[in-house]
Amino acid sequence: MMVSSTFKKLKNTFWAAAFISIFLAGCDGCDRDPKPGPVDPNPVDSNSTNVVSVGGALFSIPSPLQTAMLIKETGAKYNNAMMNPAKNAEKYNTKFKRALNVGIYGADVGYVTLYDNGQDAIGFMKSIHNLSDQLGILGAFDAAAVTRFQNNVGKRDSMMSMVGEMYRNSDGFLKDNDKKDIAVLILAGGWIETLYFTTTIAQGSNNPKVLERLGEQKYTLDNLIKALNPYRNDEEVKNLLDQLYELAYDFDAVNVEYTYVKPATDEANKVTTFNSTSKVTITKEHLKAISEKIAVIRNTITG
Amino acid sequence: MNYSHEYHKIINLMSKKTFFTIAIALSALFSANAQCDSIANLCKKNISKEYISDGQSYRALLVNQEIAEFAATFYGGSTYRIAACSGFSDGNLIFSIYDQDRNLLFTNSEHRNAPYWDFKLVSTLNCTIEAQLNSTAGTSGCAVLLVGFKDKL
Repeated sequence: MMVSSTFKKLKNTFWAAAFISIFLAGCDGCDRDPKPGPVDPNPVDSNSTNVVSVGGALFSIPSPLQTAMLIKETGAKYNNAMMNPAKNAEKYNTKFKRALNVGIYGADVGYVTLYDNGQDAIGFMKSIHNLSDQLGILGAFDAAAVTRFQNNVGKRDSMMSMVGEMYRNSDGFLKDNDKKDIAVLILAGGWIETLYFTTTIAQGSNNPKVLERLGEQKYTLDNLIKALNPYRNDEEVKNLLDQLYELAYDFDAVNVEYTYVKPATDEANKVTTFNSTSKVTITKEHLKAISEKIAVIRNTITG
Repeated sequence: MNYSHEYHKIINLMSKKTFFTIAIALSALFSANAQCDSIANLCKKNISKEYISDGQSYRALLVNQEIAEFAATFYGGSTYRIAACSGFSDGNLIFSIYDQDRNLLFTNSEHRNAPYWDFKLVSTLNCTIEAQLNSTAGTSGCAVLLVGFKDKL
C-alpha cells in the first residue's frame, strides 16, 4: 500500500512538473515567426537537452534520393522487382521494422518517382503514412503531406523536393520529440535500400560508374554504424549492427585512393569547387560478397 | 519513534526536490528544442528550390567555444548547398569543412560568415564539417546545418 501511494505521489509530481515546464516553455514553442536578433544571450546547458551530438559528432547519411539519381545517371534501366511491395507494410509489427521500412519506402518513392511511375510512388507514400501512424510519429508524415504529394504526380522535380523536405521535417520532428532512435533507423533503412539497388544493378552490368558508386558507400557505412551504436542495447539494433559490421569487413577491401588538390572559390557566386579526387577500386569478388550480405540484411528487414 | 511519519516526511521532501528538478530539466528541454525548431524553420530559406534536401536536420546546442562536428560524405558530380544558422540573424555560425586528411577545404569565416555557400564536387569526398558560434554574437545557442543537393555541377 505504502509503495502504491508513494508511487502515486511521485507520478503526480511528475505530471505537475511536466505541465509547468510546458507552460514555462510555451512561448518559445509558439514563436513560429521569429524576429531578427542576436544569438540567445542566456546560456543553455548543452548537457541538459536531448539535442546533443553523439560522442561529439553527428553523422550525415547521403540521401537515398540522391543515390537513386546517381544510379539513374549511369543509364540503369527501371527494375520494379527491386522494390519492397507497398502491401508488405501491413505485416511489420515492431518499432524496429516499422522505422526501417519507413526509410526503405522513402528510397523506393525516390526511385519510382525518378522513373516517372507516380502511381507506385503514391502506394509507397501511403505505406509510409500508415507505418508512421503505427509508430506514433504522424507529425512527421501526415495525411496532408500525402495529399500534396498526390496532387503533384507528374511533376518529377516537385515530387522529389517534397520527399526530401518531408524526410527533413520528420528528422527534425523526431529529434525534437526525443525519438532519435527512430530517426537513425529511418536513415539506416533508406541507405540499406539504395545499397541493395546499387548492388543489384552492379551485378547485372559491368558499368564502372555503378561500381564506383558502390565503393563510395564505404565511408557512409562507417558513419551509419557510429550513428546506430548508441542504441545497441536494443537486441534488434544489436543484431543489425552485427550484420553491418560484417558488411564493413567486406568494404574494408574496397580501395579508395585520395589525392588532395587545392579548392577554387568563386566569391561573387558563393561557390567553391573541391578539386580533390578519390579513385575507387573494387573487385568482382568484393562486389559478390557485398551484394550477398546486403541482400540478406535487406530481405530480413522487408520480410 | 513513528517511522511511518518520518518516512512520509522524507518522501514529501523528495517529492518537492523531484518536482523542481523535473520541472527545470523539462523546461530546458522543451525550450532548447523549440529554439532549434524555430532556427531550422528560418534556415530553410537559404536552401533555394533548385536544391533537394538531403532529408536530415543537423542540430547541436553549443556553449561558448564548443564545436559541433558533422561527419559527411559528398558525392562527386554533384553540387551541394550548405546553410548554417544560429540565432535569428545571419552570420552567427562559423562553419568549416575539412577533408579526410584534415586539410581545410572551406571556412565561411573567410567570407564574412556567409549563412550559405555552394560546393561543387569533382570527386566523392569524405569530409568533416565543424560548426561553432560566432563569439561576438553570443555565448550559447542552437547550431543548425541544412544540406541540399542537385545532381549537376
